[in-house]
Amino acid sequence: MRLLLDRFPELAPTLWTDEDTVEVCIEGDTNVAVLGRLRDDAELTFWFLADAAAVDYGVDQHLEVVYHLYSDRHPAWLRVRARVDRANPHLPTITGLWEGAMFHEREMYDMMGIIFDGNRDLRRIYMSPDYRSFPLRRDFLLPDDAADSPAAGVNPLERPETWDLTRLGEGLAPGAMVQGEGDS
Amino acid sequence: MTTEPQIRDPLEIERAEEARLRTAAGLPPIPRSAGEFAGFESVGLPDRPPQTDRERDVYTLDEGEMLVNMGPQHPSTHGVMRLVLKVRGEVVVDIDPVLGYLHRGIEKLCENATYTTVMTYVDPMDYLSSMHNEHAPAIAFEKLYGIKAPKRAEYIRALVVELNRVFSHALMMGFLALDMGGLTPILYGFINRDEVVDLLSAISGQRMLFNFFRVGGVNFDANDEFISRLSTWRAGVLKNVDMNERILTDNEIFRGRTIGMGVLSGKEAIALGVTGPSLRASGVPFDVRKAHPYSIYPELEFEVITQPGGDVYSRYMQRIAELKQSIHLIDQIVDKMPHGAVQAQVPGIIRPKPGRAYAAVESPRGLYSVYAISDGGPNPYRFRMRDPSFVSLQAIPKLMPGRLIADTMAVMASFDPVMGGVDK
Repeated sequence: MRLLLDRFPELAPTLWTDEDTVEVCIEGDTNVAVLGRLRDDAELTFWFLADAAAVDYGVDQHLEVVYHLYSDRHPAWLRVRARVDRANPHLPTITGLWEGAMFHEREMYDMMGIIFDGNRDLRRIYMSPDYRSFPLRRDFLLPDDAADSPAAGVNPLERPETWDLTRLGEGLAPGAMVQGEGDS
Repeated sequence: MTTEPQIRDPLEIERAEEARLRTAAGLPPIPRSAGEFAGFESVGLPDRPPQTDRERDVYTLDEGEMLVNMGPQHPSTHGVMRLVLKVRGEVVVDIDPVLGYLHRGIEKLCENATYTTVMTYVDPMDYLSSMHNEHAPAIAFEKLYGIKAPKRAEYIRALVVELNRVFSHALMMGFLALDMGGLTPILYGFINRDEVVDLLSAISGQRMLFNFFRVGGVNFDANDEFISRLSTWRAGVLKNVDMNERILTDNEIFRGRTIGMGVLSGKEAIALGVTGPSLRASGVPFDVRKAHPYSIYPELEFEVITQPGGDVYSRYMQRIAELKQSIHLIDQIVDKMPHGAVQAQVPGIIRPKPGRAYAAVESPRGLYSVYAISDGGPNPYRFRMRDPSFVSLQAIPKLMPGRLIADTMAVMASFDPVMGGVDK
């Protein structure tokens, strides 16, 4: 960790640790430079990209790409959180550093709509090519979130003490179903 | 180690001959066309312009090339995956894996489930290593919630996880042979698997989707039936594995088709993110159980096994070696198992403090990890799973160009991908 601070003094304010993880936050467009230095530095040698995932912090917040790195010289996972602007979700690709980040980036693009500049193969990986939405974003509407659903805005698990078991099933009348969202 | 002879492309031979004759006659060489974009209709899809450079490359055909679909219902794609093969005769030129046929949105489902019910959703992901799928979220949620499972629970976890690894590797031996046309080993593989599955159902109550791990422990203690069955199983398991091995390991045809096939160097494997037995078969001693120990693995004695070859045969031998290693680990775990509770005191609906946790385990296919974010509510705010076979699949387009179509299945089976995990 001391070594990390030596190499990256500018990241010191964002440093955070728990029992087996060291975490730093960076700006999105510096990801290639930072990860490349982490990988190639003779003493840091974070040679293995364990995971690359995207997180959505809400409609009025930012997106984030989280890289987990491993090095056999250090006992902890290194988590690098790259901040991505929600209105302009562009980020340089890291497929030049680890070729295997390709599928991760395709998945992030598919699920969160983050665009990796320079990626040669940025297309949808799970959903069909003509799909329009980004399902893992927080503003993606699930059928039971729809405004005309009887369960709109209520998470019953939040307040179990209010459960009225005698009234269970009342909201399930055919008319109350969300139109057009059921199985066809 | 011998390498398989590369098959010369008949078209290349023809062109070389033609060029030789033309130079001898003093004629200028014929200009070659650059290839044409073939569109998607040739693989049975509605036509559209290509979306990326790579897609344009795959679907651009030179003279003598054509596109073939392998899958999605192909029996040796281990589930539903489609490989678009660009072939020239019998030789593979390029491969484009098309995923998503089994996508169920498990990450999204988990974000709308409570921490306890997440365990039921991750089970059917990689259905050959359900116990590992549950292990990583259990560790991550315990980290988030700030509790530790009791010692006995950790031992039972390690026990069921190693049992799961045994049956997964036993099946892989069978599937590898099956994909190359050997029908018998899969039967032995399923015998080995069924014995372990019966054991696991004795302790968890389920045969395939165990739903056994809990935040802060496990669901049931090891009962007498389980213990007695375990010792019976232990007495006979090595015999069954040897029987399987006798058919394959020294089999002339099997060796001829696997040695030197699909050689992945350690460097390439790291760059591609290949993990688990496939990475160790390329000579890289990376095993999460040693590299970043979790659960009770620091208390057990074992070495990280590696193979020098990096080919299909090495990956097969690596699986067998790890299978036997797992059996020895099970012996150690049973010997050392302490008494005590198997479940810490946790409420029915868990609300961890806001925070983040990352947990990785060594599944039979490699590094399986979970990254969970809590916002203080009863559901995980973000629940991310990294499935090893999803990442390992990227090695197939790298390894196959210049090989025969029939060897695609052998190489693919040697990575042992499970589509339930790939597609999430």
